[in-house]
Amino acid sequence: METWVRGLFLIGMFGLISPAISAQEQSEPTTKSVIEPDLERRDINESEIDSEDFEVGLFVGVISIEDFSSDTVVGARLAYHINEDFFVEATYGQAEAGLTSFEILSGGSPFLTEEEREYRYYNLGIGYNLNGEVFLTRDLVFNSATYFTLGAGSTEFGGDDRFTLSLGAGYRLLLTDYFALHFDVRDHIFNSEIIGEEKSTHNIEYGIGATFFF
Amino acid sequence: MLKVFVVVLLLNLSSVSVATEKAPEVQIAEQFIELHTGPAVGYPVFYVAEKGEWVEVLKRKTTWFKVRTRKGQEGWVKQQSLALTLNSQAQPVRFFDGSFENFQERDFELGAMGGVLESVSSVSVFGTWVMTENIAAELSFTQALGDFSENQLLFASLTHTTFPEWKISPYIRLGAGQIRTKPRANLVQGGDETRTNDLVGAGIGVRYYLARNFVVKVEYQSLLALTERDENEELEQWKLGFAVFF
Repeated sequence: METWVRGLFLIGMFGLISPAISAQEQSEPTTKSVIEPDLERRDINESEIDSEDFEVGLFVGVISIEDFSSDTVVGARLAYHINEDFFVEATYGQAEAGLTSFEILSGGSPFLTEEEREYRYYNLGIGYNLNGEVFLTRDLVFNSATYFTLGAGSTEFGGDDRFTLSLGAGYRLLLTDYFALHFDVRDHIFNSEIIGEEKSTHNIEYGIGATFFF
Repeated sequence: MLKVFVVVLLLNLSSVSVATEKAPEVQIAEQFIELHTGPAVGYPVFYVAEKGEWVEVLKRKTTWFKVRTRKGQEGWVKQQSLALTLNSQAQPVRFFDGSFENFQERDFELGAMGGVLESVSSVSVFGTWVMTENIAAELSFTQALGDFSENQLLFASLTHTTFPEWKISPYIRLGAGQIRTKPRANLVQGGDETRTNDLVGAGIGVRYYLARNFVVKVEYQSLLALTERDENEELEQWKLGFAVFF
């Protein structure tokens, strides 16, 4: 009987105290606002925020021009990042083709003039990022992305412009938010009849580049 | 595009002159926002800023914003989270987010298309100035590389989009330009020379707002090259491509 009364008394007490506890919790934020410092704040204006969706840079590498030995290629690249996954890019590159094995061995007249050996291409494409991070040491961490590109364009070689498909893969290492190093491999595919019969040629390029975001 | 460059230029100048000025600040209105280590959703969350906290907005990359908290933590916040913050007048913060509403208010489009011009592969680039919600002016450059000749087309046109409020929306095009045809080097002995002709044309197409900042277009064009020969040359072109807008 006595424990029953005591139980009832405790329940009653708890009922009285618990609203007081929650009231105390609620009143806490109001005391916080009293010590909020009175500061002049700059409001956000979209056009004032530096957006870094464009990427521009140069690259240098080696291109193996099918039948015409390998040579240094230099070029420029402009990309626009649509969202975190996709980007579009325009690429320009140029190289000078060497001699074919036949020209070297036979010692005969060359297939192409010096001007026709100029290899220039442009390419418009779309790329897909696989974003990631690189841990060089425990505290030295860089953002990075592995990406795949698919593009189409034109190659000027052997006196003609040729429709060219480009497949590529690359790796972007962001040393800062706005400066990145690139490692790229690309295959430029076009039809050529320079060595007799028409065939599809694969011109594989690999190189390193540096880009700025702006 | 030009606008973007000008803005970028101004930003670069202003960042030099007012380097000491504070970055704009926003106050977190939700329970918390998450700071990622990089500007993509896959990067881990390393810090959580609480409701009521003020954060500085430093820069943006696509839909991500770099912020700095009072304690000096710097991280990337996605746009949807920042849209839940308030400015000093306790108004919600709003941004251009490449949404369909923003798309309807766009000024410029830039894009590229791949296609077929009379059974020859072609590549085009174009820039568009959106004058009204229905009418836009466009300048495009196309290169079509065939087995026998190389064609370059410069084409200025006007488009009319009858139902701009539709996500999938048809449009028509009318324009004029020039076509330059250069025979392939291995056919030069044929005696043909590079020739340039005026071009008029009409087109019909469909554009589709696919994703943030991204529009897909497919188009058919019927072109007429005004030659000096007895007959004018009719050309058909199919194109598929994309555009980004500002």
